[in-house]
Amino acid sequence: MEQLGNQWERDFCFFASLPALLWQVFFLVVPLAMTVYFGFVSEQTGALTFENYRAVFDGAHFCIIARSVITALLTGLVSLVVAYPVAYFLALRAGRWKGLLLFLAMVPFWTNFLVQIYAWFFMLERKGVINSLLGILGLPPLVTTNSIGAVFLVMVYCYLPFMLMSLYIALERFDERLLEASSDLGATPWQTFLRVTLPLSMPGIRTGLLLVLIPAFGEYAIPALLGGSHYMFVGSLISYYALVARDVGMGAAFTGISGVVLLGVALAIYSFLRLIFGKTRVEGEE
Amino acid sequence: MRSIRLEGVSKSFHGEEILENLSLTIPSGKFFALLGPSGSGKTTILRLIAGLEQADQGRIFLGDQDITLLPPYERRINTVFQHYALFPHMNVFDNVAYGLKLHGLPAAQIKQKVLRILEVVHLGRHVNKPIQQLSGGQQQRVALARAIVNEPDVILLDEPLAALDLKLRERMLVELIDLQDEFQTTFVYVTHDQSEALTVADQMAIMNYDGEIEQIGTPKQIYEFPTSSFVAHFVGTTNIFEGILRFGDNQARIEIEGLGFFEVAIPQEKKWLCNGCVLLMGLRPEKIEISKNVMEGFANHLEGNVESIVYHGRSTQYNVRVENGLLIQVFEQNEEHFPREEIDYEDTVHLYWQKENVTLLER
Repeated sequence: MEQLGNQWERDFCFFASLPALLWQVFFLVVPLAMTVYFGFVSEQTGALTFENYRAVFDGAHFCIIARSVITALLTGLVSLVVAYPVAYFLALRAGRWKGLLLFLAMVPFWTNFLVQIYAWFFMLERKGVINSLLGILGLPPLVTTNSIGAVFLVMVYCYLPFMLMSLYIALERFDERLLEASSDLGATPWQTFLRVTLPLSMPGIRTGLLLVLIPAFGEYAIPALLGGSHYMFVGSLISYYALVARDVGMGAAFTGISGVVLLGVALAIYSFLRLIFGKTRVEGEE
Repeated sequence: MRSIRLEGVSKSFHGEEILENLSLTIPSGKFFALLGPSGSGKTTILRLIAGLEQADQGRIFLGDQDITLLPPYERRINTVFQHYALFPHMNVFDNVAYGLKLHGLPAAQIKQKVLRILEVVHLGRHVNKPIQQLSGGQQQRVALARAIVNEPDVILLDEPLAALDLKLRERMLVELIDLQDEFQTTFVYVTHDQSEALTVADQMAIMNYDGEIEQIGTPKQIYEFPTSSFVAHFVGTTNIFEGILRFGDNQARIEIEGLGFFEVAIPQEKKWLCNGCVLLMGLRPEKIEISKNVMEGFANHLEGNVESIVYHGRSTQYNVRVENGLLIQVFEQNEEHFPREEIDYEDTVHLYWQKENVTLLER
């Protein structure tokens, strides 16, 4: 009887997930495969070629990929460092104000993305709010639009909620009694943080980093609006080739390579985090 | 191996006073049980000793060292928590090695110590297991090993067996006693379960609802010679009678309204006893003989009606209503499969006890 029930349950699960599966195949896997394929097609002759993929690794192009990776990594790290104390406070110390504070922290997130960026545009302009205030105090402008600083600042700002939410969810389940146990066993607060709190918030850190890294790597609106034309990123480059230069092959090749790079970065982070928080195994025991 | 001394310690939470001016000495190298009802502040005492709470007033000493203001991580005291508080991201080995790693011991020494202690608590085969795969009893042992492996001066145990089933609890109690014997560390064991406390303790303290200590002594002293009706009631079961003490020639008797006179033995140390005093007489249910027949050789005798019978397996409890309306509990060992006399509901029975087997308590 139990076997029958399981069989029925398996069948049901299979058919219930079929629509999602088909959706994924037709609208994700197929276009992805096509993109990879287009990367091998020469724009001029229509023949199959490695030329597009080779061109991706040209000096200038490679610099753009590297810049995107570094900016995305920095955005991830900075938002982690900024969001962690906030998430910790919200999840474990805010008490009955938790709901309200969390709501306030998430409000900007619900605002339209472009509106957020434009708001920053007015803040950071040479004659914008921040620099005018600095000017009154007799200080030189700190960050202005059309600079890498502005791009970076606004990227951290826009992706912070993803990090905050992931960390919050992980920390909310954290059992604070473990802090007492750790302290009782002789750990200073800092040691407790490194050995208990941080490893146990690792799922949140991992999710947060991936949620920030992936879109930040392909970001194209922020550099376009706040970086002027000086700073090309992978996202802007793809849109340039696909929409402006009408070189679908190059755009596709770029997309394919950036996908691989992203996967590599994600895997590297994942294994790095595993490595530093690994478990001791005593050999010869089961 | 050092003693713990609390001097005039007070602690309140949110304006509610849990402990007031409490002083207590826990002897070095002993298994000390702190027994009291829920909410009596015994866990607070433990947390104060561990440093997880700060006393509002008073001082706490570990041996001669004043540890009142020392943070938990600087006290050579480890706790076995009621909920174990094992680190879920570590396996058994890493949990137990936690304290040793913090103290920077060489890896080889850590490994040797951890494996040895896991052998002692019968977890040798589970070194690499994740915590989640262990049963409640095994988790409890890991918590114990994690504390003991650091060889602290004192180990605090906060109702460590509360989550285990009866059989396992009985086995763990014996193992705890063995462990304490082997390591000679001071164990402070908090529980609301009197049988646990009586089983493990060399010395025990009984706390009342107000966070005060009612009595300190060996389990035998506490059980046989309670000094207050609270202790008599809380540890085991007791029949309490109120009466007037009357001194006669060579003997003392207590006069109980509606029941008459009963002989009592007067212990030397109870200075407050006086002729004509109103006091309480405690009589343990198992110290009473029950029979349908008249028996010889007992100092005291009562007659009553069996109102209810509760079968406990190894003993049977009879609730007997006596003349003045009091309900008296009597325990009888079930020594035989087929007892000599069958006592049934509504039977008239005789109750007998010796004068040495009562305790006199202040009202």
